[in-house]
Formats: sequence, C-alpha cells, structure tokens
Amino acid sequence: MYKINAAENAVLIFSATGFSDTESKVSKNGSISLQRKVDELENVVVTAQGIRKKQREIGYAYAKVSNEEITVGKSPQLAQALSGKVSGLAVYNVNNSVDPAVKIVLRGYRSLTGNNEALVVLDGMQTTSTVLALINPNDIENVSILKGGQAATLYGSAGINGAIVITTKKGQKGKLKVSYSNSTNFDQISFLPQFQDTYGSGSHYSASFGSAGYKTNYLDRMKENWRPFENQQYGDAFDGSQRIQGRVLEDGSKWIIPYSPIANARRKAYDIGVSTNNQVSFQGGDESSTFYMSVENNRINGIVPNDKSDRTGVRLSATKEYGKLLVGFNASYTQAGYDRTSSDFYSDLINTAANIPVNDLRDWQTNPFANPNGYYNDYIQAPNFNKDNNRQKYLDANIQGNFDITYKAADFLTIYNRLGVMNNVRTGKNRTGKFLYSDWAKKSAYVPAPWDWANDYNGINRAGTDILGGVTDYSNTENVLNNEFQLQFKKDIGQFSNKLILGFSLYQRKTKSITIGSTSVVVPDVYNVSNRQGELTGGESNTLERKYGYYADLSTGYKDWLILNGTFRYDATSRFYKPDRPTNTWSYPYYGLALSFIATDAIPSLKSNTLNYAKLRINANKNGNDNLPLYGLDLTYPNGGGFPYGNIVGLTVGNTLPDANLTPEFVTSYEVGGEFQLFNNRVNLDVSAYTQTSKGQVITVKVPNTTGFSNLLINVGESKNWGYEADLKVQILRKNALKWDASLRYTYNDNKVVDLYPGVNQFLLSGFSYANTNIIKDERFPMLRSDGYVYAADGSGRRLVNSTTGYPLRNTALTNRGGTLPRHMVGLGSRFTYKDFSFAFNFEYRGGNQMYSDLGRQMTFTGSGKWTENRVPHVFPNSAYLDGTGKITDNNVNVREAEYGLWVDNYRLISENFINNAWFIKLRDVNLAWNVPASLVGKTKIFSGASVSIYGRNLFTIIDKANFYTDPEFSFTTGNGQGINTTGQTPPVRQYGINVNLIF
Amino acid sequence: MKFKSLYALAFVALMTVGCKKSYLDINTNPNSLPSATPSFVLTNALNTTAASMVSPNEIGSYWSGQWTQSSSYILTTTTFNYQFTNGDYNYWDGLYDNLYDYEYVLQNADATGQKYFKGPARVMKAFVYQALSDMYGNLPYTESLKGVAVLAPKFDDHKAVYESLISSLDAAIVEFKANPFASAFAGADIMFAGNTTKWIRFANSMKLRILMHQSRVAGREAYITTEINKIVTEGSGFLTGEDVGVGGASFYIATAGKLNPIYDRWGYDANGAVRAAGRYPRPTKFLFDVLKASNDTFRLKRIAYAKGGENTGNPGVSAQPELISNYVGVPFGVASGYTAPATSYIGPSLFVKGQYNRPVIMMTAAEVQFALAEAKQRFSGVTLAGTAQSYYEEGVRQSFRTLGVANATAQANVLLASGKVDADWAASTDKLKAIATQKWLALANFSGLEAWTEYRKTNLPVTPQSPGVTTADRPLRFYYPATESGSNANVPAGINVFSSRLFWDID
Repeated sequence: MYKINAAENAVLIFSATGFSDTESKVSKNGSISLQRKVDELENVVVTAQGIRKKQREIGYAYAKVSNEEITVGKSPQLAQALSGKVSGLAVYNVNNSVDPAVKIVLRGYRSLTGNNEALVVLDGMQTTSTVLALINPNDIENVSILKGGQAATLYGSAGINGAIVITTKKGQKGKLKVSYSNSTNFDQISFLPQFQDTYGSGSHYSASFGSAGYKTNYLDRMKENWRPFENQQYGDAFDGSQRIQGRVLEDGSKWIIPYSPIANARRKAYDIGVSTNNQVSFQGGDESSTFYMSVENNRINGIVPNDKSDRTGVRLSATKEYGKLLVGFNASYTQAGYDRTSSDFYSDLINTAANIPVNDLRDWQTNPFANPNGYYNDYIQAPNFNKDNNRQKYLDANIQGNFDITYKAADFLTIYNRLGVMNNVRTGKNRTGKFLYSDWAKKSAYVPAPWDWANDYNGINRAGTDILGGVTDYSNTENVLNNEFQLQFKKDIGQFSNKLILGFSLYQRKTKSITIGSTSVVVPDVYNVSNRQGELTGGESNTLERKYGYYADLSTGYKDWLILNGTFRYDATSRFYKPDRPTNTWSYPYYGLALSFIATDAIPSLKSNTLNYAKLRINANKNGNDNLPLYGLDLTYPNGGGFPYGNIVGLTVGNTLPDANLTPEFVTSYEVGGEFQLFNNRVNLDVSAYTQTSKGQVITVKVPNTTGFSNLLINVGESKNWGYEADLKVQILRKNALKWDASLRYTYNDNKVVDLYPGVNQFLLSGFSYANTNIIKDERFPMLRSDGYVYAADGSGRRLVNSTTGYPLRNTALTNRGGTLPRHMVGLGSRFTYKDFSFAFNFEYRGGNQMYSDLGRQMTFTGSGKWTENRVPHVFPNSAYLDGTGKITDNNVNVREAEYGLWVDNYRLISENFINNAWFIKLRDVNLAWNVPASLVGKTKIFSGASVSIYGRNLFTIIDKANFYTDPEFSFTTGNGQGINTTGQTPPVRQYGINVNLIF
Repeated sequence: MKFKSLYALAFVALMTVGCKKSYLDINTNPNSLPSATPSFVLTNALNTTAASMVSPNEIGSYWSGQWTQSSSYILTTTTFNYQFTNGDYNYWDGLYDNLYDYEYVLQNADATGQKYFKGPARVMKAFVYQALSDMYGNLPYTESLKGVAVLAPKFDDHKAVYESLISSLDAAIVEFKANPFASAFAGADIMFAGNTTKWIRFANSMKLRILMHQSRVAGREAYITTEINKIVTEGSGFLTGEDVGVGGASFYIATAGKLNPIYDRWGYDANGAVRAAGRYPRPTKFLFDVLKASNDTFRLKRIAYAKGGENTGNPGVSAQPELISNYVGVPFGVASGYTAPATSYIGPSLFVKGQYNRPVIMMTAAEVQFALAEAKQRFSGVTLAGTAQSYYEEGVRQSFRTLGVANATAQANVLLASGKVDADWAASTDKLKAIATQKWLALANFSGLEAWTEYRKTNLPVTPQSPGVTTADRPLRFYYPATESGSNANVPAGINVFSSRLFWDID
C-alpha cells in the first residue's frame, strides 16, 4: 500500500509491469483499473529455474506462447497445440490414436544416438514428457520456449536440448470467477492412401512361367489367380457378377456378394471420432492470496471403432503472503484411462479387397460371415474380430505438485525454496481373447460349385492355428523429486544494476516396472494370469538416478541498455558415478555468457517512429550432458534367452561393452540475434542465428560382432547443428473495433555428422533392412537410405530391366535418399477481431526432408495400392536394358507377368518406390469465436461473460503428389529414427468442433 | 530473524546431503548380474548354438535342394530366386556373440576352478567357426573375440582357420583327458552331461568333418591322411550309434520359449497350437524322386508327412492315409500351384505333436560313417579299420535309425540289397557318387548346412534350378553382413556369391 498526495483533477500515471500505463484524474471516489498490455516488449519471461526476467535482459532467443494462442484449436493435447507457433520448434505428431504420440525437438538434433527432446518444465519443476499428455491446456497461463543451450544452462544436463517451460494459472486477485467450458469435437479421416478398385481377391495360383500348363494370356492367368479366400488382391477384374467370398459354412450358408468395388469400403470401417471436453475453473483472491482450481474431463472415442480414452484431472494452486513471506502450492491429480486395440487394424484393412463390405462385419459375435469360423479371408483375421479380440487397456494416475516459499530477507536478498514432486503410476493389461476354431473351419469348409475350380483344399488355412489367448498385466511407476534452493541478491551500484542468484538443485528419479503374463487363457473372457496353462511369464525393472548441482547466475546491467549475464553450473550425476572413479568423470562444470544491447536506448538518436526499439544479443555457452544410458558403466551378464529352463540357469555375456573412461559430453553453442520494433511498434521482428557443436558424445557405437561384442559405449564423434530463425509479428490493422494481426515464422535448421569412431563411417539408427535411417559421416542425420533401381549409365535416368523378363533390376546396395528432419519450417498465423467476433488460424509448412512409407510396400504386397493397377502387359516405364555386349538399349520387352510378378516379386522389393519428398502444408488450427456482448450477458444476471466458438485442427493437409501414402509427420518410432511410417499409425484425421465458454 | 536462521539451517543441511558422495552411490545395475560363473555361461552358450543353427540349417536345406517353400506364402525371392544382399542371412553376428560366451568360459574356467569346461568350450568354438567359415569363407579368427583390444579384427584365410581348428580340437582332447567333470556341474553340460569320452568322440568326429570337407582340394591328400591316422592312433574313436544333440528331455520344458527350437518354429507352440510357419517349408519333389527311385518309401514317410500334415489327434501319423500317392513334394523354388494343405509337410522325424523336448541334433552318426566311407574310398593311406563299403552301409543303417524307421536295420538292409544305383553299394559303379547321394539323403531334415556344404563340394546330387532364375547361378556363400562391413574395414571386398568359391569348393 502506498499513499500519494495529489490535487484533485491532477493526472496520475500508473505503471506496472505487464500493464499499460494508465492516466487517471484524481477524484474522490476514483478507482483505477489497469489494462493488460498488448505490447510484449516489457513482458516478464520465466526463464530457466523460474528466474523472471524482463525481455530486454535476455541475451538469447526465447518465445512465449500465451493461453490464447495455445487454445485456438482447442486441442486437448498441449504438444499439438504448439505445432507451428514457435520458430525453431518442431512438434512431430508421430502417431494418431486416442493416445497420440509426439516428439518435441528444438533446433533439430544434436545428439547422434541419445536424447534430442526438449526438457519439459512444469511450474519450475523438471519433469518428463509424461505430463504433456495429461495436462489440461486451459490450465496453462503460458508456455515459454527456451530454444538454445544458454537458456537452459541452469537446468543442467536435462535442459541441453532446450526447454518447454509451462506456467499454470495461479488465479488473479479479485472476486471469484467461475468459468465453464464445453467442447465437442469430431475426428474424421482426412485422407487414406490411394486404393485400386479394379481387381478382387487373388494371388499367384496360375502355373508358374516355364512349368506345365503355363497360360500365356494374362486374362486367363488372372482368372485362375482369383481365389475367394485370398488376402492379396491380384484376382481378375471386378465384373459385377455374384461370387462367393470364402467357403461354405458349416450350416451350408454361402456369402455371395457382388464382385464389384464398394466406394470407400475401407474408410467406412473407421468411425467418426467424437470427443467431449468439459471443464470448470474457479479463481479469485484477496489482497494477500490467490487461488485457482479446475476440474476437467476429456473423453475421446477414436476413429478406430471402440478405441477410447478418458482423462479427468483436478488442479489446485494457491498463494498466500504473510508480510515478507510468500508461500504457494500447486497440485494436480490426473487420471487417464485408455482402451485401444493392439491389432494392426490398418494392415487388416489393406489386406481386404475393395469389394468386401468390412463395415457390415462389425458384428462378428452374431454374424457367421464375420466370425472367424466363417470369415472369407484365409490369411488375415476378420479386422473387426481381430480389433476386439486384442486389446490394451491402461490407466495413468498422475500426481504432480510443488510447494514453494519465498522470503524477502532484506531489500537485497530473497530466499527461495521449491520442492516439486511428480508421481505417475501406469497400470495396464493387454489381452488376447481365446478362440478355438470349429472342426469344420479347420478341415471341411470348401469352395462350392460353380467356383470349385478355386478349391485347392478344404478347411480355412488360418484356422490351422487356434488362438489360445494371453494376458500381460503390468504396473510402471515413475517418481521424480526436485528441490531448488536459491539466494537471490539484487543491488544497484551507481549506474549498474546487479542481480545474482546462487542456487542448489537436487534431482532424483526412480522407476519401477513389474510385468506378469500368461500365454494362454483357459476359461474364455477371464483375463487373469491365474487362468492359464503353463508358466507365468514376466519380469521386473528398477532404476534410480540422482543429480545435484550448484549454480550461479549474475546479471549486470549498465543504464538498462547493456546487460551482461553470466551463468555457471557445477553438476554431479549418479549416472557416471562409481566409488572408484575420479571425481572429474562424474562431476563437471559448465558456463555461459550472454550480452544484450538495447541500441535504441544507448543511442537515443536511433529511435524514431520507424525504429522504436532495437536490441542486439549475443551469447556463447558450453553445456555438459550426462547422456549415458542408466547403469551404462556396467558390463552385465543377463539371463540367456529363455533361461531359466526350470532349474537350469544360463547366463550370457552382455553385448554392450562400456569404455572405462566414459565422461559426460559437452555441447558448445554460439548465437547472435536481434529484436526490433518498427513502425510505431506495429511490427516486431526477432531474428537469430546459431551454431552448436557437440563433441565427445556418449555413443553406443556398433562394433564388429567379431570382437565378441556388438556395441561399445564410448565418448566419440562430433556433430554440428546450425540454423536461422525469424519471427515477424505485424499489427496490420487497428481501426475502431477492427483488429488484424499476423505473424510469420521461418526456421532453417541443418546438421552434419563431423566425425565418428575411427574406422566407422556410418551406423544404423532404425528401420528395415531395405530402408532405414542412419548416422553417416559428413552427412545430415538421420539419413534415409534404401535399396533402389539400377540406372542406365548414360544419365538419362532410365531404369534398367532384365532383358528377358522385362522386370526392373534392383540395386541391392543402399543409397542415401536424404535427411529425414525438415530443413525448412514456416508458420503463418493470423487473428482478426471485429467487435465481438474473432477469427484466428495457423498454417505450418515443413520441407526439405525425405520419408519412407513401408505402408506402400505392404500395399503393393496386398495389391490394394492404386499404383498396382496397371496389370495389362506393358513395358516398364522409363526403362532400358543392357544387351549382350553391355550396350544400353531401349526397352521394348513387356514385363513377364504384370498382374503379379511385376508388383509383388519385383516392384515391391525396390524400396526407392516408396521414398517421397516429405513436405507438407497443414492448416494446424482455425477458430471463429463470438464473445457474447456484455450487454447481453449482463441481462442474464448469472453470467458475467460468455463465448461460443467453432474450431478445427488439421482441416486440410497438402502433401507431395507422389506421396500416395500418408502424413509425412508419422513415424513408427518416437526415437531419433524419424521418417519411416508403417501401418502402425492410424490414418491422419481432421478435427473440428464447437466450444461454449461461460463465465459466472 | 527466526526465519533466516531456519533457512540457513535448511540450506546447510541440503548442501551437506548434496556433498555426500553416498548420495550418488546408487549406480549399480539392479536389473542384471554383475558377473557370471563359466558353468552358467556354458549352458546358455550350448543352448544358443543349437538355436542359432536352426536358420542356417534351414537355408542349407533349401539350397541343397531338399526343402522348398509352399505356395501358401508368396515366394521368398531372396531365398528362391537368390536375390539376397548383405542385409540377408546375417547368422554372423549371433554366432560371434555365441562364440564370445565360449571364449568367456575358456578365459574364466581356471580362475573359478571349473577347468573341465575348457574342453567343451574349445570343441564348441571349433563347431561354430567351422559352420561360420562354411557360410562366409575367410573370417576373423586369430584377432577375433578380443573386445576393445582389437576393434577391427583382420580376416584369416579359410584354410588356415580349418587347420587351426584341428589343433584346437587336439588341445580340447588333451584337456578332456586331464580334467574330468566335477559331478555337481555335469548338469551344466546339456550336450553330454559331463561324459568326456563322448566329448572326445565328438571332437574326433568334428576333426573328420573338417578334414573331409577338403577332400577334393588338390594337394591336401597327405595332410588329411596324416590327420585321420592321428585320430586312429589317439584311439577314442568316433561318434557311433548315436547322434549328437543339445537339450533333450532333461532340459526343454513345455513353456513358451523353452521348447525344442525346431519344434517351436515349425511344429507347435507350448500349448500345442499348430505353428502357422509349419506351412512354409516343404520337402522337394526332387527329394521324393530320389527316394522313390530306390523304392525308399520308409525313409520318405519319416522325412515327410502326407499332404495335409500331421493328424493332431493321433500324433506322429499323417492326417491323410499314408499312401505314397498322398506324399506330394514341391518343385524347388516354384512360385505357385503348391499350397500347404495340398502338399507334404516336414515329417515325424522332426515334429511329432507333444514331443517338444527332443534334443536338437548337431551331428548325426550317419554323417560320420559317410565321411569315413569317403575317406577310405578316396585315400588309400588312411589306417581306418573298416572298408568304404562297411562305413557306407553303416551310414545308411544309422540314417534309418535316426529317422525313426521301424525295424531300421532290417529295412536298411533291404535297401542296401535292392540292386538300385546309389543305394546298393555293389550296384553303384560310381562309389563316390553313391556315398554323396546317400549322405545327402541322410543329412535331410537334420543338417541342412552340411548338406549344402556337401552339395557345393561334390555338386551332387544334380538338383534342378529354381524356375525363377534365368541363369545357371547357384549361391556359393553368403555376403559378409552389412553390420560387419559397416564397422570393420578389413571385410574383403568384391565378393560375388555366385562365383567367389570357398577353398574346398573346387568346381
């Protein structure tokens, strides 16, 4: 409280951080309300370790995303909501499902094989990406993105890849504000791969070339290749006739359906997903306290029928001041349950011909043609049965909280302590139901006349193996404790303002997982491991890691326009600790220096209506990282495969040999940047350029197995990572009730493997033997490689074929196809506000990378892909062959068998066919909102505010026209080997919905 | 002021905790053992060798023309049109990993007082190196298995490796004689249960196998003769009347992952459910034709089940009547027209429902007899007691026994007196061809890799080419795997799998 004596009608100017200056005439009963400032210049940013800084003090690149920006698309998942909104940030939505998988990477990859993901910090506490799926985005006040090493120096090793710093709402002083929000959201498949709809079920049954009875006419061969029970789709052309699919059932019934394609048969097998989100929040406070409380429920019914998730969370935070003491706490409990199929539904569908009404076969319990005993397909379980019979259910119960005390011991000294806890327990059960086939299905089911020429044998091939069922029950616990203690000094000496923070950090993470299982179910539908034959399977795994660190952060400002910031940290980590190891192998110092220079304040003459503000910044730092797999120092002797066999024990020597001299690795980075406010503060430009070098990485190097080991864990290798970023924000229009803002972000990032282990020029990250991601010296990483065509040596780009068979030749050597991380990313966002209406959208482009779709290979195998449609004898396009003398000759040889041999035995095996440019443009989110005018709301006397909005996410996606397959963001792994997709990812979806928000 | 002192106290307390080294002394892996005694390592190593040989034997069975695949699976062009690369057939990594376990036993046996495990470790190292070199040719031997000491082992000459294996087996025999098993640890030996006499006979049989692989190489006669005569002098003899197997009833149990690996792969799972993969391998039409040519239907019906496979309600018997017309072999490498249910399954000599605990055969008694027959037939200087004919005929009898033919000896004797070429010794003018043919038959189902080796060595029998291959090429070896060439610059370049012959493959 303060008191100002002023004359009546004198003008007072009120200033406060984060609020616009407000002029007010002094009156007897006046009250002042300050407006939140739109101008971001003086905003306080939460940087590493919860240190609050004014933007002008920060000597490195950071970005802040407000709640408003996060909730444009009403995504229930924070990570997706950040896509495209910050330069340098890549959110990879690697899989769609009711439990989407994401990978968050800032400024590309540094580590060759280790973790490259950003640290997640929640209310100052270092946590893990676990919280991203669990937090209610509406509870978030804002997210600060600390992009580079400097920003995270104070987090220690965990922050080496940058940090996503989430600050939740704490409540505002004032009267109680209750708000309720409901969103109803629909998920619809946005696109599927391109399917052929000309040929039905069939494979290669006609006599092989060169054997007796070989048919020379391809139409005859195709007719013979037709089988009513085939999963492959290399039968004859659809002709509209009535044909049986499958065999005669035990009761004599036959499934006779038109032999003609059903439009979108596979798409219809999916549902339109419906999800609802309901939440209530309460906030308020008085002079000395604030509180915020929220309850949220988010329920998702996915596009895969019966897949669902349900998340319920409560959050409570409060602060209270007692004179010089400020205490606060923040706690949340979230419970999220998931029920998903563990079958590969997508794969089952592409193994189903275009004339099969899959959607009519959901009722496999009652429909004999959908039941496994009667399902037509000999090689693939009925997709709906398979989906229902194989389930994974799991529940996350997450408690997260922290407790902090701030004590202003003196003008110059504040003492601060924060204790944070995160405890996550996941309990789950995976199960496969028991199904024993009938004897009829096993031995007697037959193809009847007039199709009996296709009756090779009786009994369903698939029915040979009964499904005995199984259960896996597990429990995984993750417990993180983090304490930060800080002494914060602040003292101005003459023209110099000084801030010093001394801190001590403790971190512990403990995990435990226990799994038990059985490989059979005795009594059907009872899923308990005691209901089994044979032995119990399972195991346990425990980990514990600890770290502590001392740190100092000194900021010295000269006249508020030249600010120097130095940081120093000394860490000790259990990962490298052994009682007999030298101290410098498990503890390590590192440091950074940043300078910001406000040119427009230092040289006032620079300041004009065109250039309102200019800041230049530069920083350099060296960060240490304990990027060693847990317990990586030990060579272990695990149980041999299958052991123990009863009482017989068998051990094997572990395959990863740790180097005796392992030490933490270091990343050195340099960054320069500038921030400019132009044209009466209507244009804001932020640019930066950086380079990062990571040396002596702790890498699991593949060594020849002839050494007796497959891997060596050693400090080796060097990678370089560099890039440029630009963020432009423009207030395009400010006219009465009309406001139009736009922002444009550009990111360039590239990397290079500078050095690897002597004698090793490359190693495999992940993928298939024929297409995989690699670390290759002197190249970008991860580098996609695959086998491919053999090209004519004349530079014509023609593919060589076998001069006898006409089939393309396969170059079995793997060839580099390009990096899998985007080089360029562009974000474009805009927001219009007119009176009570607002409209906002965000686009994102990513490009400059390659992808491999194993989905394409699988669809070539099944013959469901559109590209396999050319089954008429033809010369392989754009091809040549070498004649007897080795001369390149124009190809005029028809492929021997275009209906099967070409596609399955040749084209499919040339992985180059499924390599694509991975660029895309997505409309990430769009929102049209109407704030019900106060005049209208006021009349209700119940509400103090209300809004309605319609929104969408990923409403459209544009991809390369040769990419017939799927969303380039998808990947079969959340590991470093991005860029390869399979049938394991559900098809891409667009989402749209309506949101109602009421404030009481 | 109170607060201040409280904080100061808390601060000091935290710092003290932090400073204690014991706070970090938690870095011992709680999930895996920090050491292992040789006995436990040997048991696993033996089991791993047996399981690791299943796939090489499978490929060998294909490329020796004994097995092919059914048309219920799309044609594996890798195997049947020979379109393989250095990403295929990587048995190298697994077997070298396995070799290191034997090396560990050798290195640690003395220190742990388990000297008697050195002999088995040496013999098994020889077994694995022999198998590896017959798949890949030259390989790291003198510099291999040295961990960080040699990170890029050099490649040794195949012939030199062979010679070194002979000496190494000699060393093993010396060790067996010096170090009998402690009875408490005999159970760790899941091959011979600590019977050193059998180990020595197996070592001698291994020597014979290695020596006779080189039988057609010019200039090796003297060496082979000398070495065989040394075995004769040593006196322990060869494996006779029984096959060498790993595991068996005292080891395998009816639990997922703990079954005989062959049974588990193509037969049945732990709960008795049919393995779908059993529909893949098929005996070839050619194999049946060879057997039928000498009316050898007894062995045929043990090598294969009739079309439709085993009657699971009556284990060991075909579902279809066991008439010879119901035994349908599949032409090698054919892509279509021979679905699983319409053709013969691999037979009761390998799979009988419920018999999940048979030993995995590493070497058959018949193989030894045929090697002896060939040695006697080729090399006049060998001092082996029997005649080529007696060894040959015993080989055939052992083959009948191993396959499980009822009244094996009597039935074998019928074949041996049948007057059929390449069955009846007297009726066969080309004795070496008869030996090669009968050896090829005896190796079927059990020793695919050896069958392929013998085929490459003798080019017998003359098996048909895969119809999808437009040339006369046959695979002569595997490529060195990409995993090795990616990290070891010593990998020989320029290998052509269709023309770069192994040293014992002279034509």
